[in-house]
Amino acid sequence: MTDHILALTVAAPFVAALLMLLVPGRNHPVLRVIGVTGSVLSLVGAIYVALHYDQAKGGLQFAQNYPFVPSFGIDIRLAADGWSVALFLLTGIIMTAGSLASATLTNRPKEFYILLLVLVSGVFGVFVCQDLFVFFLFYEIAVLPMYLLIGIWGSKGKVAPAGPFKSLWKDLDVGGKEYAAMKLTLMLLVGSAAILVGMLAMYFAMGGKSFDMVAMAHFKFPREMQVWVFPMLWLGFGSLAGVFPFHTWSPDGHAAAPTAVSMLHAGVLMKLGAFGVMRVGMILLPEGAATWAPIVGAVAALNVIYGAVSAMAQKDLKYVIAYSSVSHMGVVMLGAATLDPDGWNGAIYQMFAHGIMTGLFFALVGLIYERAHSRWVPGMGGFAKVMPGVAAFFTLAGLSSLGMPGSAGFVAEFLVFAGAWKSGHLMWAIPAMIGAWVTAVYVLRATKMIFWGEGPSHEFHDLHDAKRVEWAALWILGTCIVAFGCAPRLVLDFIGKATSEYLPAIVDAAHLVAMGGGK
Amino acid sequence: MTPSTLALLSLFVPLGAAVLLGLLGPLRRTGRPAAFVSVAGALVALAGAVAILAGGDAALKPGAHLVWGWLSAGPATAVGIHVDGTSAWMLLVVTLVATCVQIYSLGYLHDEPPAALGRYFTYQSLFLFAMNTLVLAPNLLQAFLGWELVGLVSYLLIGFYFRKPSAAKAAVKAFWVTKFADLGFLIGLVTLYAKTGAFEWTAVTPVAGFVTLMLFFAVMGKSAQFPLHIWLPDAMEGPTPVSALLHAATMVAAGVFLIVRAEPLFAQAPMTREIMAYVGGFTALFAACIAVVQTDIKKVLAYSTCSQLGYMVTALGAGDTFAGYFHLSTHAFFKALLFLGAGSLIHAVHSNELKDMGGLFKKMPFSGAVFIIGAVALAGVPPFAGFFSKDLILEAVEHHHLYVPLAALAIAAFLTAFYMTRTVMMALFGAPSHAAEHAHEPGIDMKLPLGVLALLAIVAGFGGSWLAGLTGHEYAFHFTLVGGAGTAIGLLGIATGFWMFGPAQGGAPIKRGMAPVGVFIRYGLMDRLSTVAYGLMLAVGAIIAWIDRYVIDGVMNWSGWILLVGGRRLRGLQTGNVQDYVYAVALGIVVLGAWGILR
Repeated sequence: MTDHILALTVAAPFVAALLMLLVPGRNHPVLRVIGVTGSVLSLVGAIYVALHYDQAKGGLQFAQNYPFVPSFGIDIRLAADGWSVALFLLTGIIMTAGSLASATLTNRPKEFYILLLVLVSGVFGVFVCQDLFVFFLFYEIAVLPMYLLIGIWGSKGKVAPAGPFKSLWKDLDVGGKEYAAMKLTLMLLVGSAAILVGMLAMYFAMGGKSFDMVAMAHFKFPREMQVWVFPMLWLGFGSLAGVFPFHTWSPDGHAAAPTAVSMLHAGVLMKLGAFGVMRVGMILLPEGAATWAPIVGAVAALNVIYGAVSAMAQKDLKYVIAYSSVSHMGVVMLGAATLDPDGWNGAIYQMFAHGIMTGLFFALVGLIYERAHSRWVPGMGGFAKVMPGVAAFFTLAGLSSLGMPGSAGFVAEFLVFAGAWKSGHLMWAIPAMIGAWVTAVYVLRATKMIFWGEGPSHEFHDLHDAKRVEWAALWILGTCIVAFGCAPRLVLDFIGKATSEYLPAIVDAAHLVAMGGGK
Repeated sequence: MTPSTLALLSLFVPLGAAVLLGLLGPLRRTGRPAAFVSVAGALVALAGAVAILAGGDAALKPGAHLVWGWLSAGPATAVGIHVDGTSAWMLLVVTLVATCVQIYSLGYLHDEPPAALGRYFTYQSLFLFAMNTLVLAPNLLQAFLGWELVGLVSYLLIGFYFRKPSAAKAAVKAFWVTKFADLGFLIGLVTLYAKTGAFEWTAVTPVAGFVTLMLFFAVMGKSAQFPLHIWLPDAMEGPTPVSALLHAATMVAAGVFLIVRAEPLFAQAPMTREIMAYVGGFTALFAACIAVVQTDIKKVLAYSTCSQLGYMVTALGAGDTFAGYFHLSTHAFFKALLFLGAGSLIHAVHSNELKDMGGLFKKMPFSGAVFIIGAVALAGVPPFAGFFSKDLILEAVEHHHLYVPLAALAIAAFLTAFYMTRTVMMALFGAPSHAAEHAHEPGIDMKLPLGVLALLAIVAGFGGSWLAGLTGHEYAFHFTLVGGAGTAIGLLGIATGFWMFGPAQGGAPIKRGMAPVGVFIRYGLMDRLSTVAYGLMLAVGAIIAWIDRYVIDGVMNWSGWILLVGGRRLRGLQTGNVQDYVYAVALGIVVLGAWGILR
C-alpha cells in the first residue's frame, strides 16, 4: 500500500472527482465534504511522503512503474526527489485551503469541484512523474480545466479601450471572462506546442525508445540540438511561469478567475511552468541551459522589476496581486538561471513560499470582494475597523511578499539574491532587490488604502470579518508562512538534497560551454 | 544559570508573550490583563539581563556563543546567541528602557479601548523580541533578521492610530525609507557571504570596505542620518511611549549598535569611517538647527535624537567605538526620560504644541523636574550622564584630527543646549496657557518609570570605566581642553536660551530669525524631495502598466485577432460551388504548366 503512496496521492483528488459524479448536483453539503476530503487526503499523502522520504539516502524514492503505452516506451514512472517533497506539500496545502475557501460557492459546485480536483491531480502528477510523455500529459490535465473554470465561474474586469490596438477591443471582448479564459488557454497551448516539439526532439535523439527522464538526464544530447531545444522548453513552460513577454494572460486570467481558481493557479500552476524549465529544460539539457542562462536570468530580472512596477499602478486589487505574481515568479526564474546551489534552492523555495503567500492573498481578495462587491482599491479605506482579522492576514501575506524575515518569502528571496551574487550576476541581483523594495511600496500602499484611514464609507454596508470555515483557509496558510519562515529547514533540507544531486552535472556543462569545447 | 540560558530567557519570554497575545484573541482584547502579560514578559527579560551582568564579567569573556543551523546544517548560515560584554550591556539597556516604557504605557494609554491596548502590548512584546534578536545576534545574518523585524514593529506602532490618515502615512513612509536603506544591508550581507561563505563580522576580507559602506547606508536609514532621516520626525505620529522606546532610545540606536558590533569589519575600512564621521557631523549640526525652530515638543526631541545619533556616528567614524557605545547608553536613558516626561506634559494638556503648554512646572513639579534633569543631561552639563559621553566623543574626534566634524559637533553642542533651554522655558515656565490651567501630575505607573530613568540620567555617566572594562576598552574620565570647551559651549547655549526665552521674555515668541531657515530645510527641501521621488515612482509605474496593458498585451491580442480574421477570410475559399473549384484546378494546371516550361 505505502509503496504506492505517490500514485495514491496523485489519484486521491481524481477519485474524489469520480465519486462526485454519483452525487446529485443540488446536494451541496455532500459535494463539499467529498471535495474537501479528497484534498485533505492528498495533503495527508504529501505529509506522509515528507515524513518517510529518507534524506540521508536522497535520490528518487517511492519509485513505481505502471506500464502505459509500452510500444512507445511510455510508462507512468512515479518517483519523488527532494523537490517533489516540497512541492507536493505545497500543492496539498494550497488545495486544502482552496477547497475550504470555495465552501461558500453556490453556483454549480459539483462541476466546479470536479474540475478543480482533476486539475490538482494533474499538478501532483507533474511533480513526481519521471516519464517525459506522462509528465506532459499531467501538465495538460492541470492546465486545461482552467478554461472552463474561468469561463463559467469567472467575473468580468474593467479594461478601458485605449492604445494602438484599441480597435480590437470590441471584436475580442477584452476584459470579459470568456476572453480571459480564451487568452489564458491559447497562450498556454502555444507554449505546450513548443514543449511538444522539444520533447519529441529529445525522444528521437535518444533513438525513440523511451521517455524515461532519468535515462534522458544521463544521455548526452548533441550541443547544437540542446541549444535550440532549450529555448523551446524555456518559453513553452515559461509562458505558464509568467516569463516576459508571455505573462499577459496572467493579470486578466487571475482577475477573472474565482477565488479558489486564482489560489490554485497562482499558487501551484505557475510553479509547474518554472518547475518544467528546471526539471526538464535545465536538468535534461544542461549545455542548452548553460548557453541560455544569461538570457533567462536577464529576462527574469526584468520580470521582477517590471511586474513590481506594473503592480504599483494597478487600481483593481486582483490585478495588484496578479502582477505581483509575475514579479515573484521572476525571482524563481532568476534563481534557476544562477546555476548556483543557493540560487536553485531559493528558486524552489520561492515556488513554495510564493505559492502559500499568493494563495493567502487570493483567498483574502475573494473575501473582500464578496463583502465589498468591489475590487477598486482607491474607493476603499478603513476596512480594518470592521474586518480586523482579514486586515491582519493581508498584512502577513504582504510582509511575506516583500521579504520580511520570519516569513517564508524572506528565505526564498534571500537565497536567490545570494545565489545571484555568488554566481557573479550583480546585474540581475540589483534589479531584483530593487523589485523587492518596490513590492514593499505597492503592498503597503494597498494595505493602507484598503484597511487604514477613515471609513469604511456607507456604500460598504455589509462588510464583516471572516466567518467560520473561511477562517480555516486563512489560518492554514498564515501559519505556514510563519512556520516555514522561522524554520525553513523543514523543507529546505529536502530541496537542498535534490539540488545537490542535479546541479553538479549542469555546472560541469556550464564550464564546458564557457570554455567553448567539449562538443 | 549560565549567561546563555539567561539570554535565551530574555529573548524568548517576550516572544512567548507576543505569541500568546497574538494567537489568543480573547485574551488580547481584554486590554489590561494583556498588558500585564506583556509587562511580565519584559520584567523577566530585564531580570535575565541583570542576572547576566551580575554574574560578573569573567563569564562574559570571551563570550558565550551558541548557534543552530538555520538555512542549512552547519554554522555558516546559523542563528543563535552571542553573549559578551557588549551584547549583555545592550540587552540591559533595551530591556530596562522597554520595561519602563511598558509600565508607563499602562498609565499613558489608560483611555484606549481594551482591544487597541491589547494590540499595543502585543507589538511591544514583539518589539522586545525583535530588538533582542538583533542585540544577541551571533552573526550579521541574524542581525539582519532582527534589524528588519524592529523595522516592522516600528511600522506597526507608528501606525497604531491607523484610523488617522497622518499616522497611516507616517507609518508607510518610515517603512519605505528604512527598507530602501536596508537594500544596503542586504547587498553588504550577500557580498560578505559570496566572498567568505559566512556572515561573520570578524571576517578579514578585502571587500570589507564595500561591505561596511553598504552596511552604513542601512545605518543611515535606521539611525536617521542625513538625508535618510526624513522618516523620523513623521514617526512621532506614534504614541509617545513608542517614540521614547523605538524612535529615541533603542531601535534608532540599532544602527550605532550594528557598527559597534561589526567593529572588526569597520576597522578594515578607513574610508567608510571617514565618510561616517562627516555624515554624522553634518547630521548632528543639521538636525540641531531644525530642532531650534520646532513648535511641537515631540518634534524638538525627534530632531534632537537625529542630532545625537549624528554624534554617535561621528565618534564611530573617528574609530572610537567605545565613545559611540557609551553615548548610545547614556542617550538611551536621558532621551527616553525626555520623551516620557514630554508624554506626561502632553497627557496633561492634550496637545503636543509648546504654545499650549507653559507654566506647567507649578502644576506638575515632579514631571517638570525630571524633564529638566533630562534636558541638562542632554545639554552636557556636568555631572549628568550626557556630559561624560559627549566629552569623550569630542575628545575622540579631536584626537583623530577630524576638525570639520569637530566644529560641526561643537556648534551642535551649543544649539542642543539652546533648544533644550528654549523647550524647558516654553513648556514649564512662563505664562500658562488655557489648557495648562487644569494640568495635573500623572499616576504612579507613569511616575515610577520617570523616576528610574531620571536617576539613571544623573548617575549613568559615572559608570563609564566599568562599561569600558566590560566591553574590553579602557576609559577613565580626565579633563581635556576640547572637552572643557564643549562644556563651556553648552553652558553658553543654556545662557543664551535663558536670555532669549527666560522669565525676562515672559512667554517668548516661538520663532525668531532662524525660523525660515529651518522651515525651508525641513519642509521646503527634504519633504518635497521625498514627495517628488514618490510621485515619480508612481508615474513610472503608471507608464509601465499602460505599456504592458495596451502595447505588450495589445500585440498578444492583435496576434489572436489576426488569426481570427485570417481564418474568416480563408473561410471564403470554401464556397461549396463546384465551378469555383474547377476554376481553381484549371488555374493550378496553368500555373504548374507555366512553371514547368519556364524553369
